[in-house]
Amino acid sequence: MKINAGNLKKGDFIIYQQEIWQVQKADFYSPGKGAALMKTRIKNLASGKNIDYAFKSTELVEIIEVQSVEMQFLYRDNENLYFMNERNFEQYSLPIKSVGDSVRFFKEGEKMYVYLYNEKPLAIRPPLSVTLKVTETEMAVKGDTVSSARKPAKLETGAVVMVPLFIKTGDLITINPETGDYTGRA
Amino acid sequence: MKIATWIDNRENHRFFLLVQKFIEEYLEKKGYLKVDLPVLSPALIPESYLEVFETKFIYMNKKERIYLTPSPELFLKRLLAFGLGDCFYLGKSFRNGDFPSDLHTFEFTILEIYKTNISYLELAEEILAMISYVHKKIKQEKFLSDPTWRSPEIKFDYWEKITVAEAFEKWAGMKRDVLFDHKQFLEKAKEKGYQVEGFSYEEVWSQIYVQEIEPNLGLGERLTLIYDYPKEFAALAKLNPDRRTAQRFEFYFQGKELGDCYTELIDWQEQKQRLIEEIKKRKILRKVNHRIDKGFLEALKYGLKPCSGIAIGVERLALVLLGLSSIQQLKLVSIINED
Repeated sequence: MKINAGNLKKGDFIIYQQEIWQVQKADFYSPGKGAALMKTRIKNLASGKNIDYAFKSTELVEIIEVQSVEMQFLYRDNENLYFMNERNFEQYSLPIKSVGDSVRFFKEGEKMYVYLYNEKPLAIRPPLSVTLKVTETEMAVKGDTVSSARKPAKLETGAVVMVPLFIKTGDLITINPETGDYTGRA
Repeated sequence: MKIATWIDNRENHRFFLLVQKFIEEYLEKKGYLKVDLPVLSPALIPESYLEVFETKFIYMNKKERIYLTPSPELFLKRLLAFGLGDCFYLGKSFRNGDFPSDLHTFEFTILEIYKTNISYLELAEEILAMISYVHKKIKQEKFLSDPTWRSPEIKFDYWEKITVAEAFEKWAGMKRDVLFDHKQFLEKAKEKGYQVEGFSYEEVWSQIYVQEIEPNLGLGERLTLIYDYPKEFAALAKLNPDRRTAQRFEFYFQGKELGDCYTELIDWQEQKQRLIEEIKKRKILRKVNHRIDKGFLEALKYGLKPCSGIAIGVERLALVLLGLSSIQQLKLVSIINED
């Protein structure tokens, strides 16, 4: 289906230069000369790379209908992540590089949504929040009471994030996998 | 859309107002007269790339369409024709069609300055001196309230200058002859992967400008001035002797456009022709069909002295001087996009 670029939204999947991209950001923009534009940041699903591209707002862009299916994350190897559709036990794989940094926070057995296009996996929709156990962090130095102070903590997936000083080894914390930010204690 | 209030922006807001105060201080010292103007007008100058807000004046059972002004130009040029002299307007203007974002609001603070007997590039020097003055004053004020504040590093000794033609050759790989020839330009754009079927030179040109030129402007320590736009993009500016480019410049810092300046077109017959073109373009683009301000042409007919005018987005200028990234950081109340 083709739509005007002016109607693109964050999350849409489009075909551009014969490749599939997901819209990360879309802002309508009138530069004060010539026509109005849609300034977008789009992510190439094959390479995982983002580019900035300004479409003319009335330019037609091919968007594709994508299914979003809940799956269980099974395991990873050096190149791929493996998922299973729990309804029919069908297994799917996705290259790690197409997922991006949030992969550091994926725990085996977790459920997440995988986007399918023509029965092929395209991308995952990272959960807004994941709960992970702290496996290693130093005790805070006593007397350091600045509320914004942070220290590194290693999580059960191996990822290292910055956390407030009161977090101890063994605590369960929540992380926004897209930004890698600590969001609270679970 | 919704209303958002940010009481924590009190300090930024204070400095946003100080930026305006120092601008006025500088311009008044230099002999410019500040004028207050209406923001609602029954007629406007037709400009193809601007969309306007339309409303109605209602009296008993009579209605008259009336518009929020996208710039104070129509009023200021009248006053100049009647001999007002060097002057400026610092207040609100309105542009329809874009959602509020970090660098854009449909209601914004515009600084529009006119000076007579001066060309666009000469006015540029005055503007650089003005911004340098405001930058220095802001730095001093900031130091009083927060001695640890570090001002953004900007040098004001000279403009970094580049012509539009040089910029297209440098960053888009398009030579001068291609740039001004509509057919060749569209062919080259197609080769580069742009959609050109069904689009005008102006539409594709502005796409490439935003995609390949703008992100490179003002990335150093100085403000970048880019000048001599194809005549298609300057309906109210004087043409250069080459008749292909107009005496228009814009200036940028870190890829953000801050201002737009013309040597004003004072030949009323040529202006009339160009406005007819703009009216046609507005029709094709299905923009609001507003009443045309005929008094503007009458004023030119009466006689406008040679002059140059510049419009500056004051919020954006304040962002640059204060080292902030979003217009919303300057405001206590903003209208923002729902998501």
